[in-house]
Amino acid sequence: MKRRLPTRNRGIGLIQQSLKVFISCLFILFASYISYAQEKNTITGTVADEKGVTLIGVSVKVKNSSLGATTDANGKFVLNVPSKNVILQFVYVGFISQDVALNGRSTLSVKLKEGNENLQEVVVTGYGSQKRESITGSIASVTSKDIDRVHGGSTVSTALAGKIPGVTFRMADGRPGANATIQIRNMGSPLYVIDGIQQDVAQFNNLSQNDIESISVLKDASAAIYGVRAANGVVVVTTKKGNKGESVINADAYLGYQNWTRFPKVLNNSYDYMLYKADAEINGNGSTSITAAELEKYRAGTERGYQSFDWREYVLKSNNNAPQNNVNVNFTGGGDKMTYYVSATNLYQNSVLGNEYEFKRSNIQSNISAQVANGLKVGLNINGRIESRENPGVPGYDDYFLARYAVLRNTPLERPYANDNPLYLNDIGHTESNYAFLNKRLSGVYRSDWRVVQANFNAEYEIPGIKGLTARAVYSYYYADYVLNNNEYTYNTFTYRPATDTYDITGGSNNPYREREQRKEFSTTQQAQLNYNNTFGKHNLAATLVAERIELIHQRNYVHGSPISNNLPLIYFPTLDTYNDRDDTERRIGYIGRINYNFNSKYYLEASARRDASYLFDPAHRVGYFPSVSAGWRITEESWMKNLLGDNKILTDLKFRASYGVLGDDRRIDDATMPIVAPYAYLPGYNYNQGTAILDGNAVIVSRDKGVPVTRISWLKSKTTDIGADFSLFNGKLTGTADYFYRKRTGLLGVRTDIIVPIEIGYLLPDENVNSDAQYGQEIALNYSGKFGQVGYNVGGNFSYTRSKNINTYNPLFFNSWDQYRNSLENRYSHIDWGYEVTGQFTSQEQINNYTVNNDGKGNRSLIPGDLIYKDQNGDGKIDQYDQRPIGFGLGTQPNINFGFNIGLNYKAFDFHADFSGGAGYTFSQNWELRWAFQNSGNLNEIFLDRWHRADPLDINSAWIPGKYPANRFNPGTGHSNYSLNGQGNSDYWLHNVKYLRARTIEFGYTLPASLLSRVKVRKLRVYANAYNLFSIDNMKQYSLDPEVQDDNGLQFPQSKILNFGLNLTF
Amino acid sequence: MNKIYILSLFALLLITGACKKDSDFLDVPPKQVIPEETAFSDPALVLSVLGDLYNRQRDFSSLDGIPKELPYIENDEPGWRTFADFNEAFPSENGSNFLVQRTGWSFNEWGIWNYGYIRDLNLFIQRATAATKLQEADKTRFIAEARFLRANYYFEMVKRMGGVPLITEPLTYDYSGVVTNLQVPRSKESEIYDFVIKEAEDIKTKLPTDVNQKSRATRAAALAMESRAALYAGSIAKYGATTPQVSTVGNEVGIPAGMALGYYTKSLAAAEEIINGSAGGYQLYKVLPELSDNFAAIFLDKSSVNQESIWIEDFKVNSGKVHGFTVNNQPFSISDEGLDAGRLNPSLNLVEAFEKLDNTYAPIITKDAGGNPVYYTNQLDAFAGRDARLAGTVLLPNATFKGKNVDIWAGYLLADGSIFTSDDASHLKSLPGTNVDIQVVGKDGPVNGQEFRSQSGFYIRKYLDPQTGSGRRGRQSDVAFIRYRYAEVLLNAAEAAFELGRLGTAEGYINQVRARAGLTTPLTGLTFDRIVHERRVELVFEGHTLFDMKRWRLAHRVWDGGSMSVSDLLSNIGSATKRNTQPYGLWSYKYYSPGSPNNGKWIYRESLPSAVTGASRFQFGNYYSLITNDILSANPKIVKQPNQ
Repeated sequence: MKRRLPTRNRGIGLIQQSLKVFISCLFILFASYISYAQEKNTITGTVADEKGVTLIGVSVKVKNSSLGATTDANGKFVLNVPSKNVILQFVYVGFISQDVALNGRSTLSVKLKEGNENLQEVVVTGYGSQKRESITGSIASVTSKDIDRVHGGSTVSTALAGKIPGVTFRMADGRPGANATIQIRNMGSPLYVIDGIQQDVAQFNNLSQNDIESISVLKDASAAIYGVRAANGVVVVTTKKGNKGESVINADAYLGYQNWTRFPKVLNNSYDYMLYKADAEINGNGSTSITAAELEKYRAGTERGYQSFDWREYVLKSNNNAPQNNVNVNFTGGGDKMTYYVSATNLYQNSVLGNEYEFKRSNIQSNISAQVANGLKVGLNINGRIESRENPGVPGYDDYFLARYAVLRNTPLERPYANDNPLYLNDIGHTESNYAFLNKRLSGVYRSDWRVVQANFNAEYEIPGIKGLTARAVYSYYYADYVLNNNEYTYNTFTYRPATDTYDITGGSNNPYREREQRKEFSTTQQAQLNYNNTFGKHNLAATLVAERIELIHQRNYVHGSPISNNLPLIYFPTLDTYNDRDDTERRIGYIGRINYNFNSKYYLEASARRDASYLFDPAHRVGYFPSVSAGWRITEESWMKNLLGDNKILTDLKFRASYGVLGDDRRIDDATMPIVAPYAYLPGYNYNQGTAILDGNAVIVSRDKGVPVTRISWLKSKTTDIGADFSLFNGKLTGTADYFYRKRTGLLGVRTDIIVPIEIGYLLPDENVNSDAQYGQEIALNYSGKFGQVGYNVGGNFSYTRSKNINTYNPLFFNSWDQYRNSLENRYSHIDWGYEVTGQFTSQEQINNYTVNNDGKGNRSLIPGDLIYKDQNGDGKIDQYDQRPIGFGLGTQPNINFGFNIGLNYKAFDFHADFSGGAGYTFSQNWELRWAFQNSGNLNEIFLDRWHRADPLDINSAWIPGKYPANRFNPGTGHSNYSLNGQGNSDYWLHNVKYLRARTIEFGYTLPASLLSRVKVRKLRVYANAYNLFSIDNMKQYSLDPEVQDDNGLQFPQSKILNFGLNLTF
Repeated sequence: MNKIYILSLFALLLITGACKKDSDFLDVPPKQVIPEETAFSDPALVLSVLGDLYNRQRDFSSLDGIPKELPYIENDEPGWRTFADFNEAFPSENGSNFLVQRTGWSFNEWGIWNYGYIRDLNLFIQRATAATKLQEADKTRFIAEARFLRANYYFEMVKRMGGVPLITEPLTYDYSGVVTNLQVPRSKESEIYDFVIKEAEDIKTKLPTDVNQKSRATRAAALAMESRAALYAGSIAKYGATTPQVSTVGNEVGIPAGMALGYYTKSLAAAEEIINGSAGGYQLYKVLPELSDNFAAIFLDKSSVNQESIWIEDFKVNSGKVHGFTVNNQPFSISDEGLDAGRLNPSLNLVEAFEKLDNTYAPIITKDAGGNPVYYTNQLDAFAGRDARLAGTVLLPNATFKGKNVDIWAGYLLADGSIFTSDDASHLKSLPGTNVDIQVVGKDGPVNGQEFRSQSGFYIRKYLDPQTGSGRRGRQSDVAFIRYRYAEVLLNAAEAAFELGRLGTAEGYINQVRARAGLTTPLTGLTFDRIVHERRVELVFEGHTLFDMKRWRLAHRVWDGGSMSVSDLLSNIGSATKRNTQPYGLWSYKYYSPGSPNNGKWIYRESLPSAVTGASRFQFGNYYSLITNDILSANPKIVKQPNQ
């Protein structure tokens, strides 16, 4: 451990160095800014398309300077230039950019050619970037212009719905600060690389959306270059950098209003509640104690105890139109020697559950790069954030749960305050779900903060003497600090005594709950790179060598105490009862080599290899070697093809590509945050701190034998094949890409079952790398842009399908053929849900009496009309485990099918965008509050009003009236065959395969005329209104559920429908 | 900008990536792993290892619950629920209703097969024996403690499974492809009992004789284990003869009747070794003047004053080792928490088993001879004049806990015979003829189906911690669980002596236990039914019920699967074979009839909580828990259970 100290010193040295770099940079910045205050020459001009229609809003810039203008409503621009020999750049969306040399002119008219710049676009790939035309792997990307308009939440992942083919999306929880789950081709949690440094998902999600230049997704062997932990694909994020010659100040701000998309509806008056309760009790027990006379009193609703209270309204209307807002200001530009991008963002998000449920985040990003000597470039990127969550500290693990639960748990008979006096919390017997209690004054305060700062230093040196050879070094230090403070108060609840007009304390909690968690994350990345890039005639060659070391340190401590008073925010030893401590270090090393070769931009070949080593494995199994290769053929560059096509540009470009790569993975397949094997499993000895024993009155921290050392586990291997094509048609107006992929993983953990050892040896033989699985599918993306009169438009869409399969397990053993049918994993789809099939509902007691199959496990004694009829698959006259069949795609999984669709229109100064996304091929289970009536003796979900019931609920002999759901029982739990039979709760009656298409962003913008703005020295001002999640077309509406919700009780915090208003301002 | 400066910075960056050898970089030193040699060189660390072995002892019922343990226990079970079976109590938690809704127990219920624990015990004994850096006295005691834990665990396994493979050395597979040497067959049931008895005899002299040593093994603990094990073996030999279907040919299950006397003799001898003081000065706890309080205090008092408890599982507040028994079972109206309370409700079946002070049995009187309700001025009056252990074990209506009275009553009984109540104490109503809303049902219930309040009319008192804060989820409780105590040793001795025909000796021992409970008239003419009854009332909720019923082969008779009527409930109290298949409650009502002399007095009614829809049926296959397929298929030498 001693040897680490010098490394630290170097690190401090580095910081001092970079501080100097930074200060010098600032100076240069200042100097370069002044230098532009020079004599002026005025240029005027017009910009039009090929047909002569003038173009509005074309950006005109003086090359290598910050000067620029935009064309006005007549396609005209006015610009002051330092000299009349500069080059002007014309840039317009949907058109090919043009450079025009002024050559002494002071007026000019320019015609822009329509077309898509997709092929010229530079895409960030592993350790570098390439033009799209030369890419041979499956890489998709989005840029700031695609994601900037999404204001659907506070995290980056929420912006990606439907944007990238192959990226699956599900946002099950929509609370402030929540993120969506995204995966690449459903291969598992991807790796996130931000500005060349591996990061965790939280760092990705909590970037400021404004600072992102582009997000590339590496879906196949092209990810192999990131090696360790890249087997599930890589999300590569590049933040914005400054451009030379342009000093710009941008301000972006929006204000939004959130309301829940959907949430279960419940009864809101006590008469209904008692009536349906009586109905349910008669169905369940044959009798009820609720009388018609009592019901009349509830109907009147005037007497104490018979009034109604609407909890849903009380909870959800408490903070209607919950606000969110975001303000970003950034400064960007640069001179000959340096460029800069400096940005600050502040985000605030509130919740419908109440204005005390909040999320706040402030981000800074500073990217500076400088040419400090001939051939030497250095850069410093600093980013930081403070991310805070604050809400009432309430009992239970999830502080957002009880407020939602309050909607269903509380009945209309119950009231929040005793005698409706807001000074006295009512004792309703389950105070924890009394919404009146869930606030910072009564229940407590929860707050968590992440404070993160990261500095990336890089230097790039063109090695003299060898053309095209550069050396590059990167050092990154990441420090994150987390503090959670939770204080849950003691409280009293009251019962009002009308007889004495007093409020008696009749309940509450005298349990103060005070916890604090502190975490510190340190991560260090060191990279040394050699790059070579040269052209020999028609041969283009590039080569990269990288050495990389990554160290992650996780430290955590947790204390819990029971303070003697709610008014003491500090924690002292005598009231402590828990102190936990953790300090773990992870280390990995990678060596990477890669060669790119292309002949005449026609044939492309890329080959790479990695040697990875992980601290997790036994030294003998530490190292893995992982090669990959890909090739591309631009068939449209062949002369015979050019001859064939002639001038007819129907097919502008066509490239076929294929890749194959092997990647290593040292993470668990079901949870990428966990290692595949416990750290130090290869060592013998005792694990300390396995609990506490009290011996002779003393607390002894106990140790347990680690078990037989696990020395046989190493890397699992992920072998990805991808075949695809990129094409553009009609002069580049229609572009697209199509892919087929197949990933096979080998070396998944399993037991080598050809030797079965007796259980009595006391341990299980350790797993080995013996099983395999596969993930495969297709995806396609198309984009068309064009212009119709003065209306520019573009239409795009993507569709992807993916499925996973278990391939084989080692020597599977089955007791019998049923066991094999039911439990085999061999060559089967993963995530299958098994359950009964429901063929209908009983329509009369007579039908039940004559029914020969034992449908409820009790000889059909418990059945009444409306109850579910299960299919007796094997015809043995009873429903049991042998009647289960595959009925679902997997609960809680990502959609197997994802698609996105977008339209953009612009007309003069107006622009319009609409983005849609959808998913299908996943399963939701309707359970608990969504399956049976009065769960937990709570309120009735309104879906159960459409049920089988008697014409007169109080008359057991009245006629049955059909409905959708079986007849309600009062809080039956799993006790009835409708809901669960022989331990099996799944049936295709309750499991639903979800499909949805939802409007994500619909935006309408207006750019103010430049002529107006120039007077106030503003270059650009655009205002917009934007709606997120405006509507959804899906099959979950009938349950009042958001289609992406995962919790089977339906009580999850759903996504919000958001209306945003914002502006983009450029000086 | 200084060019050299920048160049050296650049060089530095390169060096930081390459200054350490790869293997040095990847060898991250562990912070929580103790190498074996280090562990067995330091007595503090040996105790740390031994502490884990103590923690993993398995009780049938335990205050902190049953943790997951494959291949049998798949889910954690909370501590309170382990006491809530066999109709001695009703579970007032909706998620636990299955306890009273099922019609019996699955054959793999209660099974344990934790050879991982046995392996760690064997490893400990092997490593401690080989250790060279420990003092001899420490070493001897450590090894004896591990052997005690191992013997006690084999005893726990044999109680549930019958004969199991007896493995006393750590087994390790060497990847040779040969496993026959690792396949150990089941021992005879008697051989496992013999092992337990022999180990106890071997180690008893190596263990301390300190009466204050309760959490670690002592001589008395070894002897108490021996006395109980030998008693079990003896009764299985004797009463197993009545159930020949519960045995295997190889006697893996079943003990020949001829061995009974030998075991009873050993049981009596081991018990008398404790009684005569040669293991330390143990005696019955007789400290508090009020006998019910005194009985409750046995389980609360961990000081040296308590010379009754022999071996306990100890807990300590603010140490990380605490349990939620009080959180789960505190009376609802006195709860420290909003919704954690009242789960374990003792049944009327149990309450009626506590005899009257004249040694006779009688139900709680609810009606007079004419069938008219009996009116009590105070709710507690109905339970007066009974065995003090009743109020020491059960919190009766209007009894005191933490200085407050529990509020248990089901509503008003009106003069017309109808019941006037509501579905929650906070739902106030006006009595007929009045217009002021008042509380019309107890804050502690009973309301049918209202969880966390008593639904039987009673709460548990045994183990319920009166300390401030014991009902908080954060603090919880540190009341100890007593695994062996002196009163049981006396009852073991009494039973063994009874079976050996030494009636006078037996009566001497049993009457000591009874006298402490206020039953000062000595029993004479001791019968088997009296022994069964005495263990039930003294040791209820201590994990004995199932095993006692099994070894006497009474289980299939007492839990015969038939429903219980109220007259079943009220008759034959004290009979060893009395049916006990459904937990009844006793609900009290306040009589409302202004002007009547009985106005404001209390009546009681027997009541079956509506959640009770099943009736317990104990099948022959339940006598010994099923051995699962994965065990059988991994070791072909293991024979199945009878009736499996």
